[in-house]
Amino acid sequence: MRTLNKIIIYVFLVLTAIFTIYPLLYVFSAAFSKGQSISALSIIPFGDGIHFNHFRYLFKETNYLKWFRNTLIVAAMTSALTVLVASLSAYVFSRFHFTMKKTMLMTLLILQIFPSMLAMIAIYVLLLRLRALDTLWGLVMVYVAGNIPYNTWLVKSYMDTIPKSLDESARIDGASHLTIFFKVILPVASPIITFLAIVTFTAPWMDFIFPKMILRSAEKQTLALGLFGFVTDRKSEFGSFAAGSILVAIPFIIFFILAHKRMISSFGAGAVKE
Amino acid sequence: MKGNIDSLSDKKIKRASLLFMGLAHILYLKDYLKGCVFALIELLFLAFIPKMIKIINNLITLGTPKPHLPIFQRDNSTYMLFDGIITIIFILLFFFMYYISVKSARKSYQEYKIIGRKKGIKESLADITTGSFPFFGLLPALLLVVFFVLVPLIFSASVAFTNYSAPNHITPNNVVDWVGLENFRMLFGGDTLWAKALGRVSLWTLVWAFLATATCFFGGFIVAVILRESRIKIAPVFRGIFILPYAVPAVISMLVWQNLLNGSFGTVNRTLMKLGIIDNVIPWLGDPWLARFTVVMINLWAGYSYFMLLTTGSMTAISQDIYDAAKIDGANSFQVFRKITFPLVIFQTMPLLVMSFTHNINNFGAIFFLTGGRPVVADTATTSAGGTDILITWIYDLTINLQKYNLGAALAVMIFIILAPFAIFNFSRTKSFREGEL
Repeated sequence: MRTLNKIIIYVFLVLTAIFTIYPLLYVFSAAFSKGQSISALSIIPFGDGIHFNHFRYLFKETNYLKWFRNTLIVAAMTSALTVLVASLSAYVFSRFHFTMKKTMLMTLLILQIFPSMLAMIAIYVLLLRLRALDTLWGLVMVYVAGNIPYNTWLVKSYMDTIPKSLDESARIDGASHLTIFFKVILPVASPIITFLAIVTFTAPWMDFIFPKMILRSAEKQTLALGLFGFVTDRKSEFGSFAAGSILVAIPFIIFFILAHKRMISSFGAGAVKE
Repeated sequence: MKGNIDSLSDKKIKRASLLFMGLAHILYLKDYLKGCVFALIELLFLAFIPKMIKIINNLITLGTPKPHLPIFQRDNSTYMLFDGIITIIFILLFFFMYYISVKSARKSYQEYKIIGRKKGIKESLADITTGSFPFFGLLPALLLVVFFVLVPLIFSASVAFTNYSAPNHITPNNVVDWVGLENFRMLFGGDTLWAKALGRVSLWTLVWAFLATATCFFGGFIVAVILRESRIKIAPVFRGIFILPYAVPAVISMLVWQNLLNGSFGTVNRTLMKLGIIDNVIPWLGDPWLARFTVVMINLWAGYSYFMLLTTGSMTAISQDIYDAAKIDGANSFQVFRKITFPLVIFQTMPLLVMSFTHNINNFGAIFFLTGGRPVVADTATTSAGGTDILITWIYDLTINLQKYNLGAALAVMIFIILAPFAIFNFSRTKSFREGEL
């Protein structure tokens, strides 16, 4: 009975693992295959041997490095600005009393449920008038603004748990509000700040709609746009797509595998706090 | 001089500060710095009144057609709508400042009565710099949220009541007009094809969001429980594998699946045929019902990792004492799971389940990159809504491909309405709401 159970469990786990790995295996296989088309790809993984022509093509004949650089700039700027703006406003909401505070907090809570995508036409008109179309900073502004409502709440809830006596003792020593924020509150709130920085850094790598709408010229494209361009209705360069994809995905995979123990415990801690 | 102030009543302060912003500060409280700042704000507002009247008027008319003029000199309805919304926000902001100025005058008067002397410039300046920290701290966030989130959302809700659409009402060549509820009438009943498509897509959006959330949650939960209870030695290896879908950007994994599942030359069908399991290709993404099923299954692939991590986390957080007590009472492991683990995990993850549901209602990537909303169904030629389209991907089609901004906006309003209860739920579960203060 016990061995039967064990066998069933192993069969289930192995099947799930196959289901999970299946598409990833073919991405790697296609990235190192010779041909472009998915129809020519051998159904046995790596059945076409190992070639590097897709990588050569990416670096020599496409703007892959530019896409990578643009995405990196957008992600880093979005992350830094979101952390700065959201944590500063979270600090204000957590520590001060002022008129309309309640209304503002409620407005943020309601706004965070609507994706910026619902308002893409208006954002287009706004960027057109700010002359921010086809610029990376225009895209960053859209991302940062969209990040603020939810993350202000997130950081505020965390800061509410930091004892007020901490900033009071700093105030007695003559520190200004801004000094207290940077020297006292931010270091204590660093777990949530780190989380926020990581989440807002990873999101722009995967977004497609806003880059597509905002960035027009070839040298301003981001990775998602460039990769999507390989597999449109008109052409299918699955090999190059796969090669470009694994170069983006590998850093993410390494990071997640290293960090997943920590994620589990942070999820657990979050659940307890709720 | 002292008598003069003593005879002041709160009423007098109120009247003066209501008459003109900052008047009470200058006349009675001798707080010239604050008074001048407030007065300046009101003067600026008064100076802009003619301009604001023009903008509001433009908002009402949305411009008149001027076909004889070159394009860039014609009335641009979208700009007018935008400026109108921003101007209304500025007017509201001004009245808010007015309210603040009256409040500040009355507060200074109260303070004066207590400390018995007026505040000097230095003190007033110090008041402003410390008192205005919340204002300057929030300013960047406020500006960004107002201009990039609030105004755009109001704008897109307003477009739902206009005829902003290709081919005859696209700025800057032509003007846009207010049409009232015309778009909603068309979507809900005027044209049966549109009404049918709206019903179909809305229903599928809800079913999809429910199935997507439920399959991912239970899929992840089952895997987490098995990894935990089976006590096999290589559990971490499996966990490492199972986390992979979470780590791969959705754009990439969905596009990969789209290619693997391709009807005639996709790897999945070719493998199944080579193995002799099937004789003819399976139209994974070509048949409406099969495509809906496939979309949910692939979303399970992409989403179960997240819930595996989440439920593993919340199971570790359950105290061991409860389990020990259950064991002493003679409960078997299934009973323990059904009566302890399951309810506790559900309870702890409920808010995140609701969040995940709202996320799936707007899960653009899971549909768009896998099927693009296809396959084509009976009404697709007119409405452009395919068999797997959810509201948000339909909006994308209508706005980006067909330039029917008015219909896209009307659908966005539908999403607002669907999501509103969740916004309220979100609010009611916040700690500060439950404890009665924000």
